[in-house]
Amino acid sequence: MTAVTTQAPDTRRAGRTVYAAAVVLLCAWVLVPLYFLFINTLSSPDTVNSFPKPFVPEFDTGSLAFFAGFAGMLSALKNSILVAGMTMVMSILIGAPAGYALSRFDFRGKEVFRLLILLTRAFPLPLLALPLAVMFIRTGLDDTVFGLALVHTTLAVPFAVLITFSLFSGIPMELEEAAWTLGCTRLTAFTKVVLPLILPGITASAIFAFVISWNEVFAAAVLTIENRTLTAFLLQNLDTSPLHLKFAGGFILVVPALIFIFAVRKYLFAMWGIANR
Amino acid sequence: MNYFSKFLGAASAVALSCAAVAAQAETLFWSTQAKPVEEAQAMREQVLSGFGGGVDYQPNDGGPWLTRLQAELQAGSGSIGVLGALHGDFSAMDPADLVDLSDLGVASASDTFNGLAKLGTDSLQYIPWMQASYIMAANKEALQYLPEGADINSLTYDQLIAWAANAHEAAGEPKFGFPAGPKGLKHRFFQGYLYPSYTDGVVRTFASPEAVTAWTKFKELWSHTNPSSTNFSFMQEQLLSGDAWIVFDHTSRLAQAFNERPDDFVAFPAPAGPTGRGFMPVLAGVAIPKTSPDMDAAKELVAYMLKPETQIATLRATNFFPVVDVALPDDLPPSVKAAGDAVAKMSGSADANPGLLPAGLGDKGGDFNRVFVDTFERIVLANQPIEQVLEDQKGRLAAIMQETGAPCWAPDAPSEGACPVE
Repeated sequence: MTAVTTQAPDTRRAGRTVYAAAVVLLCAWVLVPLYFLFINTLSSPDTVNSFPKPFVPEFDTGSLAFFAGFAGMLSALKNSILVAGMTMVMSILIGAPAGYALSRFDFRGKEVFRLLILLTRAFPLPLLALPLAVMFIRTGLDDTVFGLALVHTTLAVPFAVLITFSLFSGIPMELEEAAWTLGCTRLTAFTKVVLPLILPGITASAIFAFVISWNEVFAAAVLTIENRTLTAFLLQNLDTSPLHLKFAGGFILVVPALIFIFAVRKYLFAMWGIANR
Repeated sequence: MNYFSKFLGAASAVALSCAAVAAQAETLFWSTQAKPVEEAQAMREQVLSGFGGGVDYQPNDGGPWLTRLQAELQAGSGSIGVLGALHGDFSAMDPADLVDLSDLGVASASDTFNGLAKLGTDSLQYIPWMQASYIMAANKEALQYLPEGADINSLTYDQLIAWAANAHEAAGEPKFGFPAGPKGLKHRFFQGYLYPSYTDGVVRTFASPEAVTAWTKFKELWSHTNPSSTNFSFMQEQLLSGDAWIVFDHTSRLAQAFNERPDDFVAFPAPAGPTGRGFMPVLAGVAIPKTSPDMDAAKELVAYMLKPETQIATLRATNFFPVVDVALPDDLPPSVKAAGDAVAKMSGSADANPGLLPAGLGDKGGDFNRVFVDTFERIVLANQPIEQVLEDQKGRLAAIMQETGAPCWAPDAPSEGACPVE
């Protein structure tokens, strides 16, 4: 008995150390590259090319100032946000009902449908882009933010469907049935009972859709010309640019996505609460 | 719920704003050149700002560039006004998709270039726009290790190898740098430099005994090459960082090094082999697709690009040299002076042996390059026996030549019909 009582704090302390080490490691995994991106962005070209790198940024804003004067940056940023926002909304509006239907109803071909929905990701975009662009030019969708958002929605919908499907499946049917007996219609039962429960999950798949759209280059480069997204606008040109501009451009591409994820993080973290129940 | 109504609000705002897409009036310049952000910026601000009609300059990767162009051609209408690309990009296209430009009254000063620009037809399908080449550059620190009796402006491959070996020994690590990375232009070194210098050919002599010597020499050079070269694509970065002291690359991919630290580096001609000093001129052109929305503005823009002032502005912006006769001003950036000097010495040297860009391969240009890249990877990186690799790759090369029917180009001796692999 005594042996156990003396040993228990030791084990717990060791466990805590391991836990802390794991937390530090995981944080470093994400933060160290971001930190290097940050200091290299705020360094002069000479420092970027030198080794070893300093750990304190020297706050040389030359690289960032270059992009501030780069024609079309702001409108490209606006387009990126618009396309990503529309993709997010449309993929949820299309994906969530499909996920609900998959989890609540039995219909013929359900399993096949679940598999088929992934097929939109099976074809590489460079293959699809040519016929898509031809069709878009003919229908007038070409070079519009909406047209590009449609393409990105197609890419994001499978994830939206599969994520919301598993979320809806995690919510007992009995909850809805109870709501019906208490006077709810099918719709109000959904909006008053189910929706609040899965909102965090919806947010997660929205973030997913946002990031998919934000990162997509090829379709954006082919389908838009005047209304380019930031990624199409910058990414293609960055790979052949000098190192210090690569860092600054990378920084510019990463920051808006980080801000977005930070803004919605509270909805995201709540999801794990649901998943644990 | 609140969250959702926000969503809906955002959606309707988005729908409204995309209805307000502005109509375009500027000529769209759809280019694969001057892609790095600094060059694109300079093209817009210094080169194209002088054009009255207004230009929207958009540099792209090759994939989206071609896909978009093909889509517009298939749809029969489009927004691309003027195309800017390398000779190889145009030669992969159907000449019928490009507007005939012979009646425009502008052309380059070089008959070789004008001949290439006809793409096998009787009239100019694109107008030569600017040219460049590949040269060598070195950190001045490495000059002290030059082998005895070697003149940096007329090096031979043997002297280069000895130099790289000396530098290797002195620095304790290999200091030769070669752009063998995924985006590096290594295949051009083999097609335009190594093969012409050792075999006086590219296609005919692909698997000749001289080619075996060439690859043996290259392997020797590789033993003094920074092994990270398989990640290097723009040698200016390694020059600046000191990872490489002696390098080979495209003039515009070395420019940054000379512009940032002009006193630290020298540019010099490529080395010579037994059959001369092989080097490859690079040619970019401007063309008009037949779907161009405003043909007059497009033609005006093409003519504008060939004006002497524009050509000099383009030189400053991109480090590509003029194709028309112009007097170069004195106040050019250091990179232009250094590279211009080296190119002039290289093309003017007594033993110059220019290896032209592959021509007539159509959309097989990429496969043609692949043969050389694969050969390099198998011989040099995988250490496979040279004769056997060349024998293997020879079949692939011959198939490409047969399929395209491309006749020989310099320095290969002219051929009747498809260029044979001997």
